[in-house]
Amino acid sequence: MQIDFKSPQRQSILGIVVMFADTFQSVIRAMWAPLLIVLFKLEPEKYIIVGLSFVGIVILVAVIAFLQYRNFTFFLDEDNQEFILSKGILNKSRINIQLSKIQQVNINQSIIQKIVGVYSLDIDTAGTDKKEISIRAIDQDLALILKERLLDYDNKEQDVLDENHEAIPKEIITAKPFIKISYATLFKVGITSKYGRTIAILITFVITLYQTFKDAVDTFELDESQVDSVFEQGLGLVSVLILIFGLLILVLLINIVRTFIKHFDFEILKQKNTLVVTSGLFAKKNTLLNPLKVQITSFSQNFFQRKFKILDMNMKQASNNEVEEKQKKSNVIEIPGCDSDERNEILRIILGKIPEKGQELNPNFRYLIFRILLGVIFPVALFAFLSVTVIEDLQFYLPLIFVYLCLVGCVIYFGYKNYRLYSNSEFIILKHGAWDVENEIIQPHKIQGITTKQYFWHKSSDVGHLTLHTAAGDVQFHFGNFTEIKQLVNYWLYQVETSVENWM
Amino acid sequence: MENFTNETLNINSLPKFEEVNFSPLHKNYIKVVYINIAITLLILAIGIGVLLYFNKDLQNKNSYLIFGISYLVIAIIGFFSSIASVKRRGFAIREKDILYKRGLISTTTTMIPFNRVQHVAMHEGVFSRIFNLAQIQIFTAGGSTSDVKISGIEKEKAENIKELLMQKIQNHV
Repeated sequence: MQIDFKSPQRQSILGIVVMFADTFQSVIRAMWAPLLIVLFKLEPEKYIIVGLSFVGIVILVAVIAFLQYRNFTFFLDEDNQEFILSKGILNKSRINIQLSKIQQVNINQSIIQKIVGVYSLDIDTAGTDKKEISIRAIDQDLALILKERLLDYDNKEQDVLDENHEAIPKEIITAKPFIKISYATLFKVGITSKYGRTIAILITFVITLYQTFKDAVDTFELDESQVDSVFEQGLGLVSVLILIFGLLILVLLINIVRTFIKHFDFEILKQKNTLVVTSGLFAKKNTLLNPLKVQITSFSQNFFQRKFKILDMNMKQASNNEVEEKQKKSNVIEIPGCDSDERNEILRIILGKIPEKGQELNPNFRYLIFRILLGVIFPVALFAFLSVTVIEDLQFYLPLIFVYLCLVGCVIYFGYKNYRLYSNSEFIILKHGAWDVENEIIQPHKIQGITTKQYFWHKSSDVGHLTLHTAAGDVQFHFGNFTEIKQLVNYWLYQVETSVENWM
Repeated sequence: MENFTNETLNINSLPKFEEVNFSPLHKNYIKVVYINIAITLLILAIGIGVLLYFNKDLQNKNSYLIFGISYLVIAIIGFFSSIASVKRRGFAIREKDILYKRGLISTTTTMIPFNRVQHVAMHEGVFSRIFNLAQIQIFTAGGSTSDVKISGIEKEKAENIKELLMQKIQNHV
């Protein structure tokens, strides 16, 4: 096998299939709505025309796929330390990437790629001009070698760093995964985390379902009152309870399934000074994590997770602001369900040592005032107003209000209790969250800028807000003692301005 | 290694950003703001006029009064708040960072160390050019929330600042 990337190369020949599938998919995605209408509205005699044009489209797409394959080349310019990629049929483009700007190299496999037996290799770059580069079809061996070559630059850089800091012991290269998440742990993760997200998905699902249902009712001209009465009969108190219980079970089930799909066979390998994370049931995801490029490290735990002794870890890498939400997510590497020993091990690899919580900064009680105003007084006032003007039988809703107040009260109280900023000379740790208690860890030299903010009515009470800007997003601490915040800001500025360490 | 020292740091002796003298924007910038307000109000007035002209239901004394009063209130609030907010803006360039302060009901200060600046852009608006003013935009890797835009700087001064920042960036790399 040729493992020389110095001359321009094409993708694997099977790439044509992948390209075909990609283009075909986007064509279908763009045209499915008009296509459906055409199919339904058309007289049967004209099906043949539709069929012919369909065949025409398929042929066209195949030609496009072939040309895409022909014109797609890539090679590694070792003299200039650049990776160069050329592509395009009519609009030809040539993309040069400095190896030093490469942030992440991901090897993924979609279902089509799995069938054909190739992988895709995506290159993530940092900096202001975002160019996402993706090789759609490449053999596994070749992908792994290319990945290593692309990230070679970093290792060189790292070696230099290591020489400077001789105290850091070289990590022993192990091929054995040092973290492997078992099915039992995945199950625990599934039943304990991310209720909010699942509930949100469920709600959108139910709403769309309801909409489609209603549309169906409209189109079939069913008697709407009939349907409504079915709904009303079903809504006794007992059935409401059963419904809620059922929903809870459903949420848990969805959670477990989601966790298994996403994190199936989750493994972390230590390779030189980087971590290789692989996971996924249908699409196996292989992500390389360079400790130098991690901007914010965080771990979180809720009540149940504490009982199960598991933690959720997140590593946020530098992200470009213009990037869409979807890609932003891929810059976060999640490690579900590790225990505290494993967490410490990961922290040691990424941060060099286990961060200690330094000087503590508490929020002012004005934090509570704001939350109570927003979470209690405003909704209650709204309810009172509505109950006077619109709703008649107030008594029926009173218990609900009581439950709401208890819930919100707990959220506000625990949110306040857990809201802390710790700082020492090496780490800044923000602890927050009412249910999922999250610790976000930043190293001061990764700060890009600092913003302080103070409302004029907070001046006399010496309260202010703080925002630390990092390349992976902002970290905010509100309602702190402003004198202390200013002191910390001066100190952090001093640290950033004297630091010689690279933030990336 | 011979220059290496590691004395105890007295945090109170660090330079304090809160005691820095901020330089205000150029006094001509307020004129640019006047022009901008005037244009905005004119567009709003035309919008209301069109709405009233084409909507027969609104052609009565009551709605004239409501629209007139709210227009006046918006105009006055907009006018005074923009003037006040311009007066409260200021920037300062220290040896190793740039500070920008703004905000009407809150005082917001953003600090960007020179060794974290990614690049610098200079913009000249149509009206700013009349008064020989320019805007400086400083980009960091922290994304748009930490980018700083300082309007109303004399063009020559803006160019000097840009030059200085570019120099600092290059020296750093």
